[in-house]
Amino acid sequence: MSTPFLSVRDLRVHFSTHDGVVKAVDGLSFDLEKGRTLGIVGESGSGKSVTNMAILGLHDPRNTTMDGEILLDGKELITAGERELEELRGNKMSMIFQDALASLSPYHTIGAQIAETYRKHTGASKKEARARAVEMLRRVGIPQPDIRVDDYPHQFSGGMRQRAMIAMALVCDPELLIADEPTTALDVTVQAQIMDLLKDLQQEFGTAIIFITHDLGVIADIADDVLVMYGGRCVEKGSKKEVLNTPEHPYTLGLLGSMPSLDGPVDVPLSPIPGAPPSLLNPPSGCRFHPRCSFAEQVPGGLCSTERPTLEITDGRGSACHLTPGQKRELFADHAPARTN
Amino acid sequence: MLRFLIRRTLGAAVILLIISALVFVLFYAAPRDPARIACGKVCTPETLALVKKNLGIDHPLPVQYWDWLKGLFVGRDYTSFGHCDAPCLGYSFQNREPVLSTILDRFPATISLALGSSVVFLVFGIGTGMLAAVKQGKALDKVASSASLIASSMQIYVVGVFATYLLVDQLHWLDRANYTPFTSDPVGWAQGLLVPWLVLSLIFTANYTRMTRSQMVESMSEDYVRTARAKGLSRRTVFFRFAWRGAMGPIITIFGLDLGTLLGGAIITEQTFSIQGLGRLSVKAVSTNDLPMLLGVVLVAAAAIVVFNIVVDAVYALIDPRVRLA
Amino acid sequence: MSLSRRNFVIATSVAAAGSTLLSACSSGNAGGSGSTPSDGATSYTGAKVTVGTKEDSTGPAPEIAGAKKGGTIYGLAPDDFSHLDPQRIYYAYNSTAALLLHRCLTGYKIDSTGHQKLVGDLATDTGTPSADNKTWTFTLKEGLKWEDGSELTVEDVRHGIERSWASFITEGANYVQSALTGKGGKWRDAYEGPYKGKHLDSIVTDKAKRTITFKLAEAKPDFNFTLAMHSYAAVSPKLDTKEKYDKKPAACGPYKIKAHTTDKSMVLTRNKYWDPATDSIRNAYPDGFEFDFGIETLDSTDRLIADQGKDQYAVSIYKGVPAERIQKVLTDPELKKRSFNGLLTGIYYYAINTKRVTDLKVRQALNHAWPLQQIRQIYGGPSAGDFATSILSPDVIGYKQYDAYGKLKTPQGDPAAAKKLLKEAGKEGMKIVYAYPQDPTYDKTKVVIENALKAAGFTPVIKAVDSTSYYDQIQQIDNSYDVMWFGWSPDWPTAYTVVQPLFDGGAIGNGMNNISQTNIPWINDGIKKNAVIADQAKAGEAWQALDERIMKEVAPIIPETFSRRYYVYGSKVGGAQFDPNFSATLLYKTFVKA
Repeated sequence: MSTPFLSVRDLRVHFSTHDGVVKAVDGLSFDLEKGRTLGIVGESGSGKSVTNMAILGLHDPRNTTMDGEILLDGKELITAGERELEELRGNKMSMIFQDALASLSPYHTIGAQIAETYRKHTGASKKEARARAVEMLRRVGIPQPDIRVDDYPHQFSGGMRQRAMIAMALVCDPELLIADEPTTALDVTVQAQIMDLLKDLQQEFGTAIIFITHDLGVIADIADDVLVMYGGRCVEKGSKKEVLNTPEHPYTLGLLGSMPSLDGPVDVPLSPIPGAPPSLLNPPSGCRFHPRCSFAEQVPGGLCSTERPTLEITDGRGSACHLTPGQKRELFADHAPARTN
Repeated sequence: MLRFLIRRTLGAAVILLIISALVFVLFYAAPRDPARIACGKVCTPETLALVKKNLGIDHPLPVQYWDWLKGLFVGRDYTSFGHCDAPCLGYSFQNREPVLSTILDRFPATISLALGSSVVFLVFGIGTGMLAAVKQGKALDKVASSASLIASSMQIYVVGVFATYLLVDQLHWLDRANYTPFTSDPVGWAQGLLVPWLVLSLIFTANYTRMTRSQMVESMSEDYVRTARAKGLSRRTVFFRFAWRGAMGPIITIFGLDLGTLLGGAIITEQTFSIQGLGRLSVKAVSTNDLPMLLGVVLVAAAAIVVFNIVVDAVYALIDPRVRLA
Repeated sequence: MSLSRRNFVIATSVAAAGSTLLSACSSGNAGGSGSTPSDGATSYTGAKVTVGTKEDSTGPAPEIAGAKKGGTIYGLAPDDFSHLDPQRIYYAYNSTAALLLHRCLTGYKIDSTGHQKLVGDLATDTGTPSADNKTWTFTLKEGLKWEDGSELTVEDVRHGIERSWASFITEGANYVQSALTGKGGKWRDAYEGPYKGKHLDSIVTDKAKRTITFKLAEAKPDFNFTLAMHSYAAVSPKLDTKEKYDKKPAACGPYKIKAHTTDKSMVLTRNKYWDPATDSIRNAYPDGFEFDFGIETLDSTDRLIADQGKDQYAVSIYKGVPAERIQKVLTDPELKKRSFNGLLTGIYYYAINTKRVTDLKVRQALNHAWPLQQIRQIYGGPSAGDFATSILSPDVIGYKQYDAYGKLKTPQGDPAAAKKLLKEAGKEGMKIVYAYPQDPTYDKTKVVIENALKAAGFTPVIKAVDSTSYYDQIQQIDNSYDVMWFGWSPDWPTAYTVVQPLFDGGAIGNGMNNISQTNIPWINDGIKKNAVIADQAKAGEAWQALDERIMKEVAPIIPETFSRRYYVYGSKVGGAQFDPNFSATLLYKTFVKA
């Protein structure tokens, strides 16, 4: 097998704070091929965004320690120098953010912000960069791009703004695009448009996409593979079909179960996962999910609270759970498969 | 923008009008009669009446105010001075000099003091603040913060005298404070104002250091700064193009107001260094119950503040595209 | 408003008010310059003001040893002269410039020890009075010229007096006008001024004979002293620019104004038409003077102490060394060498309202109790001045020191003696209301005064009065104060100008200065009698006797201080000495050292 385009090996990201060391990401590994989309699912505090920022090397070195390996097209990123990273950011790897209004500079026009990235990485002239910006805006479906290129972010609607951010992220034809909850703040119709756009662009350019979300519906739409994170760790991995139809981890099961179904009875109460996300300062011992897991007592010897389950991956599929496959088949039986396209 | 400026200018005119009326009222509410002061040592009732007539204060208050107001627009006629062209601010009770020309004469000194110290405190204050923001938490940051706190607690009349004693009299590094007009001797102008600039800027520097530091720290944690870095822009570019843009607004606002205040006269600085600016003029006007001069100086100071309020609002709109001028 | 600004306002008003009292116009002074500060008991001999002869009045002025012509002397002052028009000059600091520009019929010839002689300045001598002292005749010297070369005549002397009737001139002295018209305060009604061609009948001029005669409505044996005031200097009708004269008057003195930027600077150059042979009073060594205004007193003192560059040729025109630097001047031998000091004219005292404090014993007890030493300590210690124990001050002709209440022996106050008197009067625990103008210094002295009064068996009530309206309040005859801070400076050095306004029964009224409201027949008679004694020396003796008797038998005031002032000057300035009349640097004696 050829080396994957992006390879994350045993990534650890620890923040030193006043109260102690926060283990935001504690041993994460995954691969991503070009042209494919990895959806990373998890609740807030699970470590999704920290992972992204780590890939781009945007954490504050003064209080962050990163261990492990991040290989982008063979280049190791954790040990790379700031200069090298600046070369790669916005160029080979790009990121789009959740809140486009806050993430775009209010003081510069959209066109200027797009052109800036382009000029930085290609040395193009102002004229060329502006033309490129107009072209990108057209590409992402913004009407009258030659006029709107001189508008400020606050003059765009939410959906347009997100498109503009995508345009900015893609201006240098990056090979890796990290999308950090880009549709969370948008309404459903706009959300669908954005996701179609991303899919089209991926098709056109073969970009590898990491798509972070907490919304399983979005995952169902856009992801090829899914990675479920909990408490800074990966708890389940696999293809979309596999994870969503036959989850192998109680947390994934819980997530799927908490989704309200559109065609079910309306007066069925929502079933959230009980409990709260774990403290990353003092994480639970053993399996981090065990305090909230309804199946924890099924595991003999109280293993869940003492021993960390290892993530066993075969053919890209696996989970970190002490339950045996047999137990899982039995206990997860009442789960209905999610709608997948 | 044009409508904004017109509207605000009209508003400013109204404010200044109200201020002038207030000054009139407050002045006459004060216990000491200006005629008595101008009257001299032996003040018989006959002499007092004559003095009142000479000063033009033998009319009721509203008449006096109206005459003064009229003078601003169409000029005024005096028996002893002839015609005073508009804008006529009258003649000082104290030395019978025309108020307008006296104010214009003193203004360059105040402007010089204001602009020069502005340069100093902007450069040092913002520079130190930026440094402190970059080296947040480190020793340099703590030193800068403490130093600025100490500096802002000092009194000009103490520091000024001490600075003169040390830098001028003992070490002979700098020239004694004095004002030479820029037009006649630019080098002498700067040399003579160096000590006052440094001393006056002390208090302001502290403010700007702290403000810049906190604004920059806040700015650097903004999402769009993170985006800028995610685009591959260098730390330096991000710091100066993006973080500074965000911090600039409040700093410029405060600076505009500070400048407006400074242009009304830095009283204590002028007093400490014997510089003939608007500040000393206003003190003299108060202590000698000199109504025309007082009105003139107060109006200039108020106008400076009002104008700079408007300028600051306009500039803010230019800096931040999100701001709509109300 | 910040506290410091408020204090500045008050300090300036008090200073302005204080200078009302403490700025003499033209008064002689006894042994002022060069004397070292005393620590309490100094014996003063009589005032050193005498009337000079025709010879004394004949120029040139005596040479000063080591002085050479040439160079520029620089003068520093916080404020510009408020008036240069002589008829509008009354405050002392304006006279410091006037001495260089203007001349009167008479003037004071001052020697290097501070002795003064009244001599003829424009006049050949100190004038000839008639037997009843109601008519005074003066003869003008020859060779007197204005700065444009035109001749100075007796009509110019007359014009100077007549123009004081102009409606734009309200600031000068009133004495001559009242004496000529006999109308007291209403002298303006008697004449419309010279600008319409009318002249006063009471002034007779003979241009050919060069004489000018004054016909007074009442006898004034010291009229020649009054004429030395700058308010009565000569002005040429041809050169009279009326209101503009105040900024640029024409000079007949040794210097004329070359340039004057109001509140900024003034440049004086030689008046080449001034003939030293006509002037027995003034030397004119420097080629010119350059005055800088707007220099704060502390700043100018520091500059003179630093003695750098041009400041080596500089003097402080009229401001003395401020309290912050006195110690330095007193203790630094190098600085002491280029400093001088002198007593201000007049006296600081406390007036006792005799209408409320009616018992003599109580007033005497107050005199015993008053803590002069503690008060002086607050003023700065012995260098601040000398203890006053009389009504007349050392600058007045006839002054003699006496000590009716043992203050020189026990300047800290004698509570026992006071208590004894109170007991005899049956007034133990008597309430005493003490009023003073609000000011940081007097806020401090009130504390020691309160303590002393308590120790002496009084019940003191302290009233701090707003300084800007202080005089208005205490000059109300029905005020509610028992003891009031006050001060007085005579306009010329005869005792009439002190005793009459302060203790004459006729000087009681709202806005007038007999705030002790003393109205005693033998005092009123004494004043009338002494006023017409022709010989000033003899008059001085009579006044001194009256002074002593008033203090012993009436005790209407508690004398406090004869203030002292120090001055520093640049190391290359020669001849600098104390001006005993105006408390300033005597500019016309200065010269530039090689």
